[in-house]
Amino acid sequence: MENRPLEYDYTVAKMFMFSTIILGIVGMLVGVILAFQLAFPGLNLMLGEGLAEYTAFGRLRPLHTDAVIFGFTLSGIFATWYYVGQRVLKVSMAESGFLMFIGKLHFWLYLVGVAAVVVSLLLGITTSKEYAEFEWPIDIAIVIVWVLWGLGIFGLIGIRREQSLYISIWYYIATFLGVAMLYVFNNMEIPTYFASGGIGAWYHSVSMYSGTNDALVQWWYGHNAVAFVFTVPIVAMIYYFLPKESGQAVYSYKLSLLSFWGLMFVYLWAGGHHLLFSTVPDWLQTMGSVFSIVLILPSWGSAINMLLTMKGEWQQVASSPLIKFMILASTFYMFSTLEGPIQAIKSVNALAHFTDWIVGHVHDGVLGWVGFMIMASLFHMAPRVFKREIYSKSLMTTQFWIQTLGVVLYFTSMWIAGITQGMMWRAHDEFGNLAYSFIDTVTVLHPYYTIRAVGGLLYLVGFFMFAYNIYKTMSARRIEENELQTASPMAA
Amino acid sequence: MDIATIQAYAYFFFTGFLVLVLYGYIYHLYSSEKKGTRDYEKYGNIALNDEVTDKPVEKVSDNETKNKEA
Amino acid sequence: MFHWLEKRPFFFAVAVFVTIAFAGLIEILPNFAQASRPTIGTAPYSTLELAGRHVYIKNSCNACHSQLIRPFKAETDRYGHYSLSGEYAYDRPFLWGSKRTGPDLMRVGNYRTTDWHENHMWDPAGVVPGSIMPAYKWTFTNIADVDTAYAEQITIKNAFNVPYNKPIPMKDGSTTTVALADSLSGAHASALEEAKVVAADMKNQNVKDAVANGQIPEIVALIAYMNSLK
Repeated sequence: MENRPLEYDYTVAKMFMFSTIILGIVGMLVGVILAFQLAFPGLNLMLGEGLAEYTAFGRLRPLHTDAVIFGFTLSGIFATWYYVGQRVLKVSMAESGFLMFIGKLHFWLYLVGVAAVVVSLLLGITTSKEYAEFEWPIDIAIVIVWVLWGLGIFGLIGIRREQSLYISIWYYIATFLGVAMLYVFNNMEIPTYFASGGIGAWYHSVSMYSGTNDALVQWWYGHNAVAFVFTVPIVAMIYYFLPKESGQAVYSYKLSLLSFWGLMFVYLWAGGHHLLFSTVPDWLQTMGSVFSIVLILPSWGSAINMLLTMKGEWQQVASSPLIKFMILASTFYMFSTLEGPIQAIKSVNALAHFTDWIVGHVHDGVLGWVGFMIMASLFHMAPRVFKREIYSKSLMTTQFWIQTLGVVLYFTSMWIAGITQGMMWRAHDEFGNLAYSFIDTVTVLHPYYTIRAVGGLLYLVGFFMFAYNIYKTMSARRIEENELQTASPMAA
Repeated sequence: MDIATIQAYAYFFFTGFLVLVLYGYIYHLYSSEKKGTRDYEKYGNIALNDEVTDKPVEKVSDNETKNKEA
Repeated sequence: MFHWLEKRPFFFAVAVFVTIAFAGLIEILPNFAQASRPTIGTAPYSTLELAGRHVYIKNSCNACHSQLIRPFKAETDRYGHYSLSGEYAYDRPFLWGSKRTGPDLMRVGNYRTTDWHENHMWDPAGVVPGSIMPAYKWTFTNIADVDTAYAEQITIKNAFNVPYNKPIPMKDGSTTTVALADSLSGAHASALEEAKVVAADMKNQNVKDAVANGQIPEIVALIAYMNSLK
């Protein structure tokens, strides 16, 4: 290295930005296809009878959830880590050849893992456990990718200049540890090929847990995968990007620390709310229900902290589409962390479980909170990574309104669908017989499924606008370093 | 003592312990600010002044580098 | 004390880990032995049924169909007796599902027949007008993977003492045994015997011919599995 001043090195962050966008498109596109299939089942044959096996709802559904969780969201988490991590620790990746190598290896192995997932899910190779569908060879690859990320995190921390770890780093560390623990324990499985002395498919495995135990471990995982992929790292992002973009320090740093420990302690207990009225022990169900309510406190602690960060600066929400994305994201965070606990109340859950209301809940969290926050982060990073101004502010604003409309259509239609279906399932006539056959409760949902699909489509259209905007940013006007202090530069 | 009893006690005591720690933490955060030993709010600036050339809010000194983990 | 932790990433990470691991230890571990005891009348899956279960998983049937009947009148009226923990003792993985786009299948073997399934899997809307379920025509031609099912049986017998070839108490006081062949060819033979029983009730000529030729299409295994759900 010559006499150039030390700079942050965003090579790896850039790689993960691209995978965030590509996998976001894949995950959301498959989601929209699924939504239309539910409204118009003929679409299960969209590529003809010959390929029906690979285009049917059942095959595509795990691909949608996994592409969004482990493709789009994880890529976003990695991209922001390789950006935020350097900055708040005040150390450049360029200072360590080792960390640079680990970072690149992390990216390429991750891509190999993603490719293996896509192929295996389309072929129907799955363990059936939600968000843990991958068979053992892919599980091992995922563990390696995760360890590489851990090396990157703690390696960078090891050579830091800033002694105290900023709150975002706390959340990234928690993401790393939480997912590691959950993933390993939920995927305990025995490869049958080796255990039987070489019979059958080499990739097949059988779960170490059976029945109720398996369900318990799975939903301890399933619920907390949501915690440590959809909540914790996204909070890490907003704690960095909102203050930086708005130029306002976090409203109360003390509150952010408290909410952190509160969230860590409470979240893990709430998994039982996925199993209410099932065959797991009753005390566990009650515990899941109660802790879900308690969970409102730390969640809102973070969300309110974010909103109050804008205190005295609310005009920025009107003037900057980037701030709009982040404020709407934290609003949706408040909204879905209130909706979740409501659904975890036993009597509400009796109605809501197994219906589309749950699907709606997941999506206002993921579309509104996770999606918006990741896109906002990438918008903030783009000018700093490419040293160019954001291509179009008006495109960004249009995208914001189109996607917001999409999310609103999505969750309102799913509320109605879920409650309608739940009420019809339990309705009895005057003689005490069931009032509706099951198919009645399916056909009645057609309009809502259609509205939902349109909502999803709008969100996808917005995501394409986002991808285009970032793409054009790469060749937009060059900018000077001093334009990057707070608010991101953007062309009209 | 069967495992369910142990489980119940473990749950009760550990939860109580963590609640105590959490409240202790709140007390610590506010009292150290009041006494002037540590102003936690200044860490919020880590995000704002994050150029590699900016002065760290708290520098990793040579002394502390030695007994640092990770 | 607190600040000491905040500037030491390693011990900080340990503290976070202890805080999050604690819930799992308390909630999950202690119930393990108890929850996996089978109820009277619950038997492990035969080779063909297990191969059918793999077809069920391969097509993610569990994405739209639950196998968990909750203890409400509306559910027991519609689907039968509510689920008991021990009924799932041999389910690896569990297939409770999380969404009922279609009805629960926990006891579908009690009220649907081979013939019904055959027609329904070929053309769902033809059997249930208004159905949004896709047709599963490829299961009529794909061949079921008996090898893998057999490998799984051997694995769970050795690793978890699943009682193959042992008397299993039934509700009426009698006992039954689920046979596990001692060789792969034996497993194929016994699966084929079962498949012939299912195929005898089917109409699709290609399926019948395949079974007559010693091959087992996925649909036959799948129906055998669904008939076993009671």
